[in-house]
Amino acid sequence: MASNKKKFENSLIQCITEHKESIYRLAYSYVRNKEDALDIVQDSIHKAFANAESLKNPDAIKSWFYRIVVNTSLDFLRKQKRVQVVDEETLEAYSKGTSDSYHDFDLERALEELPVKYRSVVVLRYFEDLKIEEVSEVLNENINTVKTRLYQALRVLRVKLNDKSTMEV
Amino acid sequence: MIMDNNIEQLKKSYTEVPIPEELDFIVKKAIRQSRMKRTNMRWIIGTAAAVIVFVSGVNSSPAFANAFSNIPVLGKIVEVITFREYNVDEDTYNANLKVPAVTNLENKTLEQMLNNKYLDENKKLYAEFQKDMDDLKKQGGGHLGIDTGYEVKTDNDQILSIGRYEVNTVGSSSTTMKYDTIDKKNQVLISLPSLFKDDAYIALISDNIKQQMLEQMKSDPDKTYWVKKDDKDTDPLDDFQSIQKDQSFYINKEGKLVISFDKYEVAPGYMGIVEFVIPTDKIASDLVSSEYIKS
Repeated sequence: MASNKKKFENSLIQCITEHKESIYRLAYSYVRNKEDALDIVQDSIHKAFANAESLKNPDAIKSWFYRIVVNTSLDFLRKQKRVQVVDEETLEAYSKGTSDSYHDFDLERALEELPVKYRSVVVLRYFEDLKIEEVSEVLNENINTVKTRLYQALRVLRVKLNDKSTMEV
Repeated sequence: MIMDNNIEQLKKSYTEVPIPEELDFIVKKAIRQSRMKRTNMRWIIGTAAAVIVFVSGVNSSPAFANAFSNIPVLGKIVEVITFREYNVDEDTYNANLKVPAVTNLENKTLEQMLNNKYLDENKKLYAEFQKDMDDLKKQGGGHLGIDTGYEVKTDNDQILSIGRYEVNTVGSSSTTMKYDTIDKKNQVLISLPSLFKDDAYIALISDNIKQQMLEQMKSDPDKTYWVKKDDKDTDPLDDFQSIQKDQSFYINKEGKLVISFDKYEVAPGYMGIVEFVIPTDKIASDLVSSEYIKS
């Protein structure tokens, strides 16, 4: 028992450390400001350690941890009722854009305006490069639901994919 | 094959979100705090063994003697005073630690046990803060704050309940609260299990808290607790099952049992520390007596 605990702790620490930037960006994609995203990272870590027993399959620790991050973010949004805030750093990042990395605000707005459950699949599948199966684990939805949502989300974003591998959605 | 331009572009702005300098530190700190919490029990046993060594040290401390000199000898009222403070005040680094001390208990062993515990806790936090501050400075700076102190929750003829808080600020903050409840008449420390005939209280209290959580969420959608909402709720994180055998508690002025949970323990961070007043009739069947807990 004790060694299992130790093993869990080690793989959790490894997982968190390895993915800390992704976790931050994932949280940020929901709350859109630095302080709150950091809060969520911190909350999620505490929550993960406190809920070791809810991890059924140790191989799925990454999906399990991402799920905690997503749920913590959603809880936060539920509380905040989504106030549109763009903090200074974001504005700065936008304004620093060079000529070859222009930002299409309309496109970002369209993503922003997607209902959360559609946005989540886009973020996890395309930005975090998770497999469809992993996305379904993170969101606790079945694979077909994830595919449907992805398809609908892309349609809303008016994205026509040329890539065969991503067409399989 | 070229990935769709739009998705590429969205992904680009996603990955361009700047990573704040504090991230690394916050992650490490949260990991360390979480691990400490899990090993807390072992640490408490270690402290008990160390108490004997500390007793003579505290007795001969001039600060301790000074603390006593301010209290009129008549009266001899049991009270809680600030025994010592530790402070750091450098622009982005702030520590403000207030160590409480219980005075005028006739049971000196109990008094020393508590006071040593309070002093030890704060010494340890102060040392940790110093270390964190040095680490951060090496990394090029950041914000760090710690605040500890105490509040007397109840002080009547019979009961003295002292709560000690600890607020850690690193970007965001985490708060913990610990309580000691003393029976002033009999000069003993009251533990949660000592109030009850047997372990039945764990289920009685837990069931009532679950019910209170659900009722609160229903009447206020802004509240969230990690508790199973209904049979369809399969979220593994909604998993509050039971209080700990020695869950944080105090007895309030009305003689009601109050159960307390630290930030993150049963609810998301924004809920902070949460408390539940347990109606006496829900636990009456298991109470040893109605001496402390009143209906």
